[in-house]
Amino acid sequence: MISQFFVLSQRGDNIVFRDYRGEIQKGSAEIFFRKVKFWKGEESEEAPPIFNLDGVNYIHVKVAGLLFVATTGINVSPSLVLELLQRIARVIKDYLGVLNEDSLRKNFVLVYELLDEVIDFGYPQTTSTELLKSYVFNEPLVIDAARLPALGPAAMFMQGAKKMPGTAVTKSVIAIEPGGRKREEIFVDVIEKISVTFSSSGYILTSEIDGTIQMKSYLTGNPEIRLALNEDLSIGRNGSSIYGYSSSTGGGMVILDDCNFHESVQLDSFEVDRKLTLIPSDGEFPVMNYRMTQEFKPPFRINALIQEAGALKAEVILKVRADFPSNITANTIMVQMPLPSYTTRVSFELEPGTVGNTTDFKEGTKRLEWGLKKIVGGSEHTLRAKLTFNQESHGNIMREAGPVNMTFTIPMYNASRLQVRYLEIAKKSKTYNPYRWVRYVTQANSYVARL
Amino acid sequence: MSGHDSKYFSTTKKGEIPELKEELNSQYKDRRKDAVKKVIAAMTVGKDVSSLFTDVVNCMQTENLELKKLVYLYLINYAKSQPDLAILAVNTFVKDSQDPNPLIRALAVRTMGCIRVDKITEYLCDPLQRCLKDDDPYVRKTAAICVAKLYDINAELVEDRGFLETLKDMISDSNPMVVANAVAALAEIQENSTRLIFEITSNTLSKLLTALNECNEWGQVFILDALSRYRAADAREAENIVERVTPRLQHANCAVVLSAVKMILQQMELITSTDVVRNLCKKMAPPLVTLLSSEPEIQYVALRNINLIVQKRPTILAHEIKVFFCKYNDPIYVKMEKLEIMIKLASDRNIDQVLLEFKEYATEVDVDFVRKAVRAIGRCAIKLERAAERCISVLLELIKLKVNYVVQEAIIVIKDIFRRYPNTYESIIATLCESLDNLDEPEAKASMIWIIGEYAERIDNADELLESFLESFPEEPALVQLQLLTATVKLFLKKPTEGPQQMIQVVLNNATVETDNPDLRDRAYIYWRLLSTDPEAAKDIVLAEKPVISDDSNQLDASLLDELLANIATLSSVFHKPPEAFVTRAKPSAPRPDDDDFPDGGEPTAYSESLSQGSDRASAAPPPSSSGAPQPPAPAAVPDLLGDLIGLDNALVPVDQPAAAPRPSLPILLPSSNGQGLQISAQLTRRDGQVFYSLLFENSSLAALDGFMIQFNKNTFGLAAAGPLQVPSLQPGSSATTLLPMVLFQNVLPGPPSSLLQVAVKNNQQPVWYFNDKIPLQALLMEDGKMERQSFLETWKSLPDANEVAKELPSAVLQSVDGTVERLAAANVFFVAKRKNGNKDVLYLSAKVPPSVIFLVELTAAAGVPGVKCAVKTPNPEMSLLFFEAMEALLK
Repeated sequence: MISQFFVLSQRGDNIVFRDYRGEIQKGSAEIFFRKVKFWKGEESEEAPPIFNLDGVNYIHVKVAGLLFVATTGINVSPSLVLELLQRIARVIKDYLGVLNEDSLRKNFVLVYELLDEVIDFGYPQTTSTELLKSYVFNEPLVIDAARLPALGPAAMFMQGAKKMPGTAVTKSVIAIEPGGRKREEIFVDVIEKISVTFSSSGYILTSEIDGTIQMKSYLTGNPEIRLALNEDLSIGRNGSSIYGYSSSTGGGMVILDDCNFHESVQLDSFEVDRKLTLIPSDGEFPVMNYRMTQEFKPPFRINALIQEAGALKAEVILKVRADFPSNITANTIMVQMPLPSYTTRVSFELEPGTVGNTTDFKEGTKRLEWGLKKIVGGSEHTLRAKLTFNQESHGNIMREAGPVNMTFTIPMYNASRLQVRYLEIAKKSKTYNPYRWVRYVTQANSYVARL
Repeated sequence: MSGHDSKYFSTTKKGEIPELKEELNSQYKDRRKDAVKKVIAAMTVGKDVSSLFTDVVNCMQTENLELKKLVYLYLINYAKSQPDLAILAVNTFVKDSQDPNPLIRALAVRTMGCIRVDKITEYLCDPLQRCLKDDDPYVRKTAAICVAKLYDINAELVEDRGFLETLKDMISDSNPMVVANAVAALAEIQENSTRLIFEITSNTLSKLLTALNECNEWGQVFILDALSRYRAADAREAENIVERVTPRLQHANCAVVLSAVKMILQQMELITSTDVVRNLCKKMAPPLVTLLSSEPEIQYVALRNINLIVQKRPTILAHEIKVFFCKYNDPIYVKMEKLEIMIKLASDRNIDQVLLEFKEYATEVDVDFVRKAVRAIGRCAIKLERAAERCISVLLELIKLKVNYVVQEAIIVIKDIFRRYPNTYESIIATLCESLDNLDEPEAKASMIWIIGEYAERIDNADELLESFLESFPEEPALVQLQLLTATVKLFLKKPTEGPQQMIQVVLNNATVETDNPDLRDRAYIYWRLLSTDPEAAKDIVLAEKPVISDDSNQLDASLLDELLANIATLSSVFHKPPEAFVTRAKPSAPRPDDDDFPDGGEPTAYSESLSQGSDRASAAPPPSSSGAPQPPAPAAVPDLLGDLIGLDNALVPVDQPAAAPRPSLPILLPSSNGQGLQISAQLTRRDGQVFYSLLFENSSLAALDGFMIQFNKNTFGLAAAGPLQVPSLQPGSSATTLLPMVLFQNVLPGPPSSLLQVAVKNNQQPVWYFNDKIPLQALLMEDGKMERQSFLETWKSLPDANEVAKELPSAVLQSVDGTVERLAAANVFFVAKRKNGNKDVLYLSAKVPPSVIFLVELTAAAGVPGVKCAVKTPNPEMSLLFFEAMEALLK
């Protein structure tokens, strides 16, 4: 099992250090940091999450700019350790509201108390915030989180869209609000990350949705909750037709390739009526993860063109069309495109009258960057860029530029059409009517158009 | 800011320790608590606050749990450095372990177990005993882990006090958390013990499978991992287990999923129904793919494991290749692993899609990734004959981009493609030659030179091309020099005109006189002598047809793969190394015979190295029918040595180089304690049809030893040395290995057959050493022991029944019929026929013992179950005892 656990800042400062078994030398945190920082492996210059150095196995994850590390001398289950590290981060965040160097330092006594209950002799005991409440006595000292970037997938609710309450993301599940009683509310977030690769002719080569139904409950007394999903939801692709997803029925049916559930979820009636029953514990947790490769309509179409325009010149035309309803707005869009390495100068030309756009040519990485604050459904945007080269291209300009990569966030939109039809809370009394927030958001994971 | 813990970090005024001391002894509770917090803060940033030990311990007696926990944290940290003072805390611990509050009871045993001070340990036993039977499950689960802590400190104490028995009883506890911790503790104790402590019977199995459903996610992993040691009795039980475990695949925790996969894969080995197996594969595929939607760190673990799984069961993800396509934002370590798996899953059906991806990757920014993508295209060409042409055209397209490192990488893989499909794609050589001037990496240069030499007759200006390299010969790295040498010789043999003749003079001169590199020099001398003695023979040897290389994308050898698969969901499966290779905590276990030679996980370079090893060893190896040549004298006849000589890429390892890794598998026959510091390990082995005595000499005495000689006493098979023992002078602290060729029937000991081999070794410094060895019959079995079915039957019938002897081999095991047949064939026990008898497999085999004693063998066993019945029929039944021993060794 794990021998030591520690948290390092980006600069390598030791923020938390706990030795559970006393088998591994004390300097391990420093040895680890030096190795990771100056990693030079056979294959790449980024340290893999697991490596062995002088007989010590180091396993680490990066969370919120911090390094969560475990060491061990034995042949442990690496996925257990990685999950554990992620889970420790989540528990700490549940308690502190915000996870960063500052909050950890301010609450180090609480963090050590948590670590003692979460792990004993290197063995994970429990990572349920709910259960930990009965054993942990220090009170969190919540730092002012208003301006801090938050952690986890739900953090995206903090961006842009004002109509959504972002507080859930940075509110401790333990601390009592200054105003006395805490507010009865529950958040259910359907978060989808989509990956699409378009071929040069605009045909979809691969597409995938990784979705999570995330829950964060602030309900007292832990009432039972029922989540109803699409009635015709189907799980498991039949007759695996990988080459062209032609078998989807086209209609309204949502077909998931696979899904898994949090252990608190009762699946008794799921097969029949697609309802999930659970008693949500405190803290943030994924109720269900799912994966889908069924054909779906990509929210954006990207059209990219690069043409030579004289001996040392070329022109790039980028078009982005939003293929979703006009009552929906995407935000924080960024379009990037690597240019040939001999590009020296780029001048941009936007459509007349555009606002909120930024354009940039990154000299170091030879990359074109086009940022858009928002895109309203149904609209189309174009960028022209004139490139100047310091050498002639060998007629391979298409191969040396691209692919175009795009990132975006679309609130209140989900590509899979998976729906939470309703969210039912077992009532304690007639007047009990907590706030329920069901929110959808779609984000780009790897959204790429090849040239 | 007040009230924030971080203020405790900021007290850096002088006199900090006295100030803290005063606060720790304050009469106010809150001040004391604050002071302890400050102490802990100082401790975590690495300041030495051990001098406050007494004052901190004084704060221990408190009802305030928060404060108590802080003091305990301090104690764990400093008790070791202040063992005498730590005793002060014992009373409070013992008292706390009987506190009415279960949290305090648990806290006390938990902390005591972490204080690794002998004197405290004695006092731990009674509280632990009580807590193991506590009414509160929280206390019991803490106590269960505490047993493992105590075992780590003092194993004897744990056994004497019967804690192991209590732990075993806890497997039936009503609380799943207690069960999980008991399992974890027992598994750890078992790991560190040679005795069987935690036996998983079918009874434990069913209890644990029930607990599995109730445990939290971590407990599920403990239980699944512990159960993975269980071997089901038959296919039916295996199916039952799998059925109970399959629902775990739906868990959101990746560790649970992977541990369940491990368990299912293991039980699948026993399942005979192909339908069930196919169904299980179908069920496992989606969850495995879903792991790739987790955080990149978990993806990495999943990919390394999937890499192993698809080597064993390629069909499982055959249709899922798309999910392994790299995403734009994948970290580089994930991309590299995906590439590996894409190669493994590439097939004639999906190759076009895969090539399209690789081509795209080959123009990305990250140089390492691009190189690997180019190499991947080459590997697909070698793997898929029908797609080779398409792969090559993609490579040519990439070469045309003129990106330097892409070109070099492409040339390296094209060289391998030429080795795979000789005389097929030479038309592209012209294109390759265009890039000649830009090659600056040794491996690429060497590859290009090899291509020029190999196809010298088809390249009009081959001599000019090679000549351009010759100018810089002395500055080139060894790899390039060796290739230049060979290529020039090839050129000369193919085009013996004036130009090449001059070139060969220059090269040979450079490679013999001007160099310090022994490999180069030796290879040059061999060529020189060959050319000067018999140019025609040189042609036969150097230009001999080379064996075709094969695809190595399943690069792990079968036994290592099996071991790694048994270790799925552990670090071993991430490193692709067996646990012994990196686990530091020494586990007392038998040494592995073959762990000195596994491929370093990751980059499979096997056939790129074949450039030098494969091609030239092959080209230089004498054709088997070169009968005219006189046989070299005895010592040089050692094929291994000859291989090295001719391959020349492996340095001609002097025998006293420890670099020739002393094989751990040799049993010690003369321990250094008996040999005045000289230790001898040895074993009879068979290589290429000849018997050798493989010896390892280790000199730990204070003097150099030389003049080694060896003699064998009369023995059943008349084994004797075929030549003198070649051991150089052994300096103190050095060792040497040697292979001594043996002959048979020199001094035969009459009488009943015996495996005893008496050996005498002497040197100039010490008395004569005598030791006994055992003759393993498997080293003597002859290559021509194969029999046809018909003659097997006839011989069987012709021998009288009295010549049939049978024996149970209890420790032998028949893992799989095919594997066993292969393994036995390698040891010259040849497969004749097989049949099924109920659930048992019956195998018929033949073997031949020198001088020419035939053994007809019948093996009866159920696959995977220890215990094999071995019956033999032979004209010489006296020998069968030795034969049984050999079979038992081979089937272990």
